[in-house]
Amino acid sequence: MKKLYAILILLAVSVSAIAQDGRSLYAKYSDLPGVEAVYISSAMFRLIGKIPDVELGGEDVNLAPIIKSLKGFYILSTEDPAIGKDLYADVTKRLDRGEYELLMEAKEDGQVMRLYTAGDDFTVRSFIMLTRDGTETSFIGLDGDMPREQLEDIVLKAVEE
Amino acid sequence: MKNIDEISRLSADDLDRIGQDDSVQVPEDFRIRLPRRSTAVWAVAASVAILLGVGLWSLPKPPKDTFDDPYLAHAAVEQALGRMGDAIALGARKVEAAEVEFDKINYWK
Repeated sequence: MKKLYAILILLAVSVSAIAQDGRSLYAKYSDLPGVEAVYISSAMFRLIGKIPDVELGGEDVNLAPIIKSLKGFYILSTEDPAIGKDLYADVTKRLDRGEYELLMEAKEDGQVMRLYTAGDDFTVRSFIMLTRDGTETSFIGLDGDMPREQLEDIVLKAVEE
Repeated sequence: MKNIDEISRLSADDLDRIGQDDSVQVPEDFRIRLPRRSTAVWAVAASVAILLGVGLWSLPKPPKDTFDDPYLAHAAVEQALGRMGDAIALGARKVEAAEVEFDKINYWK
């Protein structure tokens, strides 16, 4: 019985953890003044249909498989220092839970950029970019079932450029 | 006293009539014994229902799409992915610069 209750508690924790995804961040910050917010749903992605090749780092990259696998796309960006600080802290707190793996971090002239992924060996369920450039803080979140291999190929292509 | 099989064969009217008949005495030692596990199962089921209810209730509703026009949505995606590409390229430049520095160090060693 104790085991069962432990499982139930874990279930509750995981349900609340899911709640802390891009959607909840978006819900918290998107209506604040000085915040640029963009949300694109899976329905809209289906409507977009075939995405033409997107130029990335000077080379055409076929992003169609990634785009089609997306279930949610969130952008939050602000130049408000107070909101930016809160947003950065909120995202970092979420990332520090251990579900996410740091893919890349770069710092240059006060600019900080971090890329994170969450998922398994084959599928990336969430891809997050968090940047801080002076007073501007940006969060880009992609939720879906993105094939890890294809996503990493695209990242490598951008790096090679 | 009727056994459970006999009771199960009674019609609803018969059960109602017997229930209202005061002459039918309930045995003093009559107790409804539910299996102990049953209580536990119900408790667990109720807990699951409550937890799921609370969990689902706490999930934020899906936001409204920013764009009604798929072409505008596509442009926004393209722009965002371009920003991600730039950020990745920045990281790559840092790695490249570090490699050059390491090469210099190794050269003078």
